[in-house]
Amino acid sequence: MLGYIARRLAQAAVIVAVVAAITFVLIHLAPGDPFSAVIDNPNVSEKVRATLRAQYGLDRPLPEQFVRYANSLVHGELGWSFSHDRSVREVLGRALPNTLLLMGVALVGSFGLGILIALIQVARRGSVTDHVLSGLSLFFFSMPDFWLAILALLAFTYWLPIFPVGGAVDPVMHEYMGLGSRILDRLRHLALPAITLTLLASAAVARYQRAALLDVLPADYIRTARLKGLTEGEILRRHALRNALLPIISLIGLSFPALLTGAFFIEKIFAWPGMGYAVVNAIATRDYPLVVGGVIIGSIMVTLGSLLADLLYAWADPRLRSH
Amino acid sequence: MAPMRYGRILWAVLLCGCVGTESSSARSSGGTLAISTGGDPDILIPSLLQSVQAAQIADMVFDRLADIDDSLDIVDDKGFTPRLSDRWTWSRDSLSIAFHINPNAKWHDGVPVRSNDVRFTIASTKDSALGSPAAPLITNIDSVTTPDSATAVYWFHSRSPQQFYDAVFQMPIMPEHVWKDIAPTGWRASEAARRPIGSGQYRFVRWIPRAAVELAADSTNYRGAPKLSRVIWSIAPDFNTALTRFLTGETDFFEQLRPENVAEVRKHPELRMKQYRALQYLFAQFNLRNPNDRDRPHPIFGNRELRRALTMATDRATIVRSVYDTLGLPALGPTVRAYPTTDPNLPQIPFDLPRARQILDSLGWRAPDTNSTRSRNGRPLRFTLSVPGTSKVRVQLAVLLQEQLRKAGVRVDVEQLDFPVLIEKERKRAFDAAIGQWSTQPSPGAVRGSWGTAGSRTASGNNYGSYENPVFDAYVDSALASFNPAQRKAFFTKAYETIIQDAPAIWLAEPRVTVGYHSRLELAPLRPDAWWAHIAAWWIPADKRIPRDNAPASTTPAAQRAGQKTSTPTPTP
Repeated sequence: MLGYIARRLAQAAVIVAVVAAITFVLIHLAPGDPFSAVIDNPNVSEKVRATLRAQYGLDRPLPEQFVRYANSLVHGELGWSFSHDRSVREVLGRALPNTLLLMGVALVGSFGLGILIALIQVARRGSVTDHVLSGLSLFFFSMPDFWLAILALLAFTYWLPIFPVGGAVDPVMHEYMGLGSRILDRLRHLALPAITLTLLASAAVARYQRAALLDVLPADYIRTARLKGLTEGEILRRHALRNALLPIISLIGLSFPALLTGAFFIEKIFAWPGMGYAVVNAIATRDYPLVVGGVIIGSIMVTLGSLLADLLYAWADPRLRSH
Repeated sequence: MAPMRYGRILWAVLLCGCVGTESSSARSSGGTLAISTGGDPDILIPSLLQSVQAAQIADMVFDRLADIDDSLDIVDDKGFTPRLSDRWTWSRDSLSIAFHINPNAKWHDGVPVRSNDVRFTIASTKDSALGSPAAPLITNIDSVTTPDSATAVYWFHSRSPQQFYDAVFQMPIMPEHVWKDIAPTGWRASEAARRPIGSGQYRFVRWIPRAAVELAADSTNYRGAPKLSRVIWSIAPDFNTALTRFLTGETDFFEQLRPENVAEVRKHPELRMKQYRALQYLFAQFNLRNPNDRDRPHPIFGNRELRRALTMATDRATIVRSVYDTLGLPALGPTVRAYPTTDPNLPQIPFDLPRARQILDSLGWRAPDTNSTRSRNGRPLRFTLSVPGTSKVRVQLAVLLQEQLRKAGVRVDVEQLDFPVLIEKERKRAFDAAIGQWSTQPSPGAVRGSWGTAGSRTASGNNYGSYENPVFDAYVDSALASFNPAQRKAFFTKAYETIIQDAPAIWLAEPRVTVGYHSRLELAPLRPDAWWAHIAAWWIPADKRIPRDNAPASTTPAAQRAGQKTSTPTPTP
């Protein structure tokens, strides 16, 4: 098993390196540079911009910039963010925990909610409840994440103001609250973006899980369970669900990229100070090191998520452990 | 040369005394102002900052030697109020000004402000290793000497009407003892860049990136304590989120409402709106040189009569009304109405579609019918109008212009671009036409760089359309060299008339910025170049305060007490 993990980690390292290289080249080839964006003021001359470009080595040929960047990466440095005037490591180091918190809550929430919906649908398959839940799942599955986020923002902060508008904490009062109030404040701010992301992701889980449950219901062991006199609920929970969870475990790995990109939009709408918020802004301002740094962290998260899903799959299905 | 107007100060003192007597109890200090803003400040070093959010914060943390008043009169020193310098003396030849530093002025860390801080500020800003965007603005300042710790003498290369403005306005004073041991290349990375120490009426408390910046009243400030205890910028990158924060009362102030937000704000009786004349103008700029061969004129816009016809075919009043409703006016030219040097009755090329059609016909650009695109020698009268897709207002302007020029038989292809891409095209002069916007300073002199020959011929110039007219240049130079206000205005008027008639751009709009604020807040006048200039005089009556107004204005909020990291490691020299 350890050898398998080592091989997968080596593969992941290669993937991340290739993704980083491609991103570096593409973002540098895009027109504009970090110092061309802030020029609404006619007094900022091109000479000043040229000085800044030289200071940050942006006047050097692209291959040379790439070698210098690769060298800094080898030494554990992700470069310097032009737009934040901080090291990329510091910018992402602050943002990553917020993104992981949002993604983590949404991951647990979406799988929990998705599986619950699927169980209800299968228990009442063919009923009005089943059709309504199917319709709702399809609705959220097909809804653009930014649109749902704006709708949720308007609905629950403006028309029905039960949640704060955005941010990770109350920017005015948080620092002056007691510990309990600060935790509550953080949870209140987390609620709406997490619920939005959960709703978006749970729809897919519900649909996959429903299909997987329906696949296992005709199996012999389910029929045996019925003959033993178990209730339909017990059969679903104790026999069908366990066996139908395997495809969902694969979905955990696949959902990482979707959650990450979804989180990007959600973060922007809800002013959640996570990685997506930082990286989306970095693309617009041509903050090359921050974009590449964000892509590296993102690809690490995705490859590790995929590895985690494979390991969980192997753990859940004894037939795969020998491979 | 021009001694300070003590009479003016006396009147100001008397006025303040009257106001203080009238409502001193109601104006007790306290309260929190929460501002909804769309972005993080870039950096909190006055000589390096470029974002408007950073300028707002730095202007409140750092003081200048003197500050401009609301008239924006920048000729000599009559339009300025003492700040760090309590008095100043002009040399006999006017090539130097000796500023006396207010003996009560202190940095927020308790160190007195001294003349060496002034010398250091100017020397470091001029240092090319720093790459300060403000460096080109103080080229007329040769150096600063310090005959004693309380006197800083500015030496100028030449006498100019705005040399006092250049000396005091362009650069707030920075503390030498904080920065002197850090190499210029290490300033951006330094701890001090994120925890600024200034001498203004507000001192820095904290900056949580992408969330908030907080300032607190400096109660021992040499200018007196400001009315509001705290000012907090609440940051949300999405416009709707920032607006919703304001509408729901999470913040008290929204700095730029869009026309479509006005109706929504009016639904809230507790909210107010106020307009002020901002220093912005928008225009559709033509590239007068051929993008593929800069030595040749543009095949369409190289012709002055054609440009005038395009302007004549544009109903600017209708466009502005459609986009801004009552929150904008047709632009007068490459200037704004807030400048005392701008004549609001500048003659314009009138909207006259039949006449525009006649001119185009006479130039050989003809069409078989009014719905077809004109052409000449097989070449259609068609061009691309580039616009940043992220600016809703500019896209609207482009689409309306496209429709109006269509009626004249001109085909316009609107090209929405990422902002950096548009800037790159403009810098390389690789565009046909573009919707541009300049946000200018209190000095109208920026027009020389953005529309003058000097800004056209060098690759570093901001005159992207390459408009060149020596008559215009001469009038601008004469205006900028004139000490007589009437003469200065007359020269600028001649310059503007020249460029308006040459039509290197269609002067589209001059927005009137509308701010939104909570009714519990009492505002001071909003200065056109900086609405935040008088925040120290804003106040919240005691009976209108809410819980957040009573939060302690502490320099050590919980985040700092808990050792929260708020900045980068030590700089790399």
